[in-house]
Amino acid sequence: MVIDDSIYRVFRKIGKHLVQLGYNTSHSGNISIRSGGKIYIKRRAAMLGDLLLEDLVECSLTEEDSSSLIASTELGVHRAIYLNTDAMAVIHAHNPYCVALSLIEDEITCVDAEGFALYKKIPIIDVKIPAGAYYTAIEVPKVLKNYPFVIVRGHGIFAKGMTLEDALQYVTGAEQSAKIRYLTLLTGKPLLRDFSQDGDFSDW
Amino acid sequence: MKGMNNLILRVELDNKKTSTLKISDSILEKYLGGRGLGVKLLMEYLPPNIDPLSPKNVMIFATGPFGGTNVPTNGRFSLVTKSPLTNGIFYSNSGGSFAISMKKCGFDGIMIDGALSNPGYLLIDDNETVTIKEAKELWGLDTEKTLEKLKELEGDRIHCLLIGPAGENQVKISAIMNDAARAFGRGGVGAVMGSKKLKAIVVKNGTKKVEVNDRELLQKFVHMALDKFKVVPITRSSLPKFGTSALVNLINVLGMFPINNFQEGYNEKAALVSGEEINRKLFKGDEGCFACPIRCGRLTEAGGSTGKGPEYESVWALGPNLGIYDLVTIAQANYACNQLGIDTISCGGSIACAMELQQKGKLDREDIKFGNESILLNLIQSIALKKDVGAEIGEGSANLAKRYNSYESAIQVKGLELPAYDPRGAIGHALGYATSNRGGCHLTGYMAALEIFAAPKKIDRFMVGGKPDLLALKQNQKATEDSLVICVFAGWALGLDYYARFLKAITGIEFDVITLTQIGERIYTLEKLFNLREGLTKEDDTLPLRFLNEPLKEGASKDHVVPLDNMLQQFYSVRNWDHEGIPTKKLLDRLKIEY
Repeated sequence: MVIDDSIYRVFRKIGKHLVQLGYNTSHSGNISIRSGGKIYIKRRAAMLGDLLLEDLVECSLTEEDSSSLIASTELGVHRAIYLNTDAMAVIHAHNPYCVALSLIEDEITCVDAEGFALYKKIPIIDVKIPAGAYYTAIEVPKVLKNYPFVIVRGHGIFAKGMTLEDALQYVTGAEQSAKIRYLTLLTGKPLLRDFSQDGDFSDW
Repeated sequence: MKGMNNLILRVELDNKKTSTLKISDSILEKYLGGRGLGVKLLMEYLPPNIDPLSPKNVMIFATGPFGGTNVPTNGRFSLVTKSPLTNGIFYSNSGGSFAISMKKCGFDGIMIDGALSNPGYLLIDDNETVTIKEAKELWGLDTEKTLEKLKELEGDRIHCLLIGPAGENQVKISAIMNDAARAFGRGGVGAVMGSKKLKAIVVKNGTKKVEVNDRELLQKFVHMALDKFKVVPITRSSLPKFGTSALVNLINVLGMFPINNFQEGYNEKAALVSGEEINRKLFKGDEGCFACPIRCGRLTEAGGSTGKGPEYESVWALGPNLGIYDLVTIAQANYACNQLGIDTISCGGSIACAMELQQKGKLDREDIKFGNESILLNLIQSIALKKDVGAEIGEGSANLAKRYNSYESAIQVKGLELPAYDPRGAIGHALGYATSNRGGCHLTGYMAALEIFAAPKKIDRFMVGGKPDLLALKQNQKATEDSLVICVFAGWALGLDYYARFLKAITGIEFDVITLTQIGERIYTLEKLFNLREGLTKEDDTLPLRFLNEPLKEGASKDHVVPLDNMLQQFYSVRNWDHEGIPTKKLLDRLKIEY
């Protein structure tokens, strides 16, 4: 397996960002891309913030192969996303404000202008056992068919994109909107303008 | 299916017979409309290996489920036929208001085969009334005069598809003009119409309304979409303000603005033909298609003449690619192409090829040289009338270069001249040229979006990894967009997530992003099967040698060539095609393509 150096550089950049942003612990979270009919994903227990070339694992797109020995625990979710959506890159992160809000709300409505314009709302799903791929592989792709991201309650976000950078923006954008919503809730004061009320997004 | 009439007008010109062809819901759910429906019908109704300029060739004009609703930019429609320039599948896309009028007359599309014995035009009136009329007095007129005459004959409130002298003369780089200023460009589609002695198709008086399953829901999504058009700079400002020529300076700075038949990728004089300069020197007003909030069209005045355009590709093809930087000359050449019914990209590409042949001493015409703007208008005229060297140039660059034993001077793929992005500057875009089903086309899988415009995000334009996968996805998405049908520029603000919601509101059927992507994949695969059926092979999925072997010497893309071999096999594999580029049985089964 020869991994293109340009792919490695992108993994390294995005992984570093995710850890620096505080979205993951030293070894949690996983990122992948679809390339050449394969999946390239972070190795299990590799440090996302300091990835080495050998921390990238090439896996089959269509079926389980021996790469599951070393690939991220969530490989099955990533594979299911690639097989059932238009994703070309996937990020899974444990960003705290999204996780916090997912424990008290059924979807995150974006009260801020940026979130409203870009995302409208952030869906949340309940999964019996959130960690590992068994249940999430079934439920997450269903939502990602029509949304760029989904939060698994109490666990974290899955975001898809055309590229890892694209998916990263969805992760950071969701976290930003969640943070703003959380902070405004903390004040207990009524919002002078709630952008989520600028349109009816119930059908979105 | 709601959103469609489920009806195609069938016109058999040999015996002047018209009838209607019912299209089932199941076909529409698999192919939507527009390009997808056209490809499906062409595969079925065109026998293999037919000369594209013989009466047996079939032309299908089709709109899609968005047409005539309030979805932004829904005024576009597709043409599908076999190209005389590439001998393969050809899909072209045009805007204006014709499609909506056609749909209001009760037809989702028009399928034409056979040929008239004398020139004629097709008139589609309301209530599905169709007649074929004589066009003796129209034959020989340019497109503007033809439109004027048709308005005299049929009234002002008509919309027309028509050919000029180039189409009549079956010039292989001719276009079909849409209300005389927009075009079904590329691939010599005007020649196909000319070979059928069909001067024009006229629609008027349509009154049928498109049935929408949930208007309120659609309206809600449309409002959200219009908000996005307002916040995205390209749709809010760049395109409305500068038209597509906003690209000139940017592409030049990247060193991929082709100069002198792709011999260079940068020239500081390019600024003389930029969108900003067009605004300063030529611009008279903007113009848009039906239901378009962008309005990228330019109304211009040059050298005492007025007209529409030039757009980015035309500015380049008739300008810097010929070593010409005078905007008035370029605009007048563009007007001439519109009047004569010639595709501007192929016209410029073929003239550039002739200029390179002259530069190499192969073509003995001293006047046909880079930078000689004085010959341009006469040359365009001679192409349309098939006179002198114009007759050779009008065969397209591949045929021209072959004739002079200098095939490498033809900058084309599958016979279709390349547009205004040097592929050495963006290798995903390069792979897109090589693998486009219709030949050298930038729109079939617009990788420049990612590699240049960072939409949705920037990727390294020289990086190989991941490009074949991204390209296949972009090609599938575009096939879907061309089948809905929606303008490519809407894609700067929206995407399949919006289109799926529009479609669900219109049809009442559950569509999502993935079903739409799969529809695109089905269409793209069927087109590939068509090309294989017509004798195209893996050898046609390539690029002119200079892009593989000769690095650019100056500019920001200097020293790069296209590593095509590395990417092509990967692309086939991503698409589930075998190493010869043939779709596998497993893929056809998955996509439910019966072949």
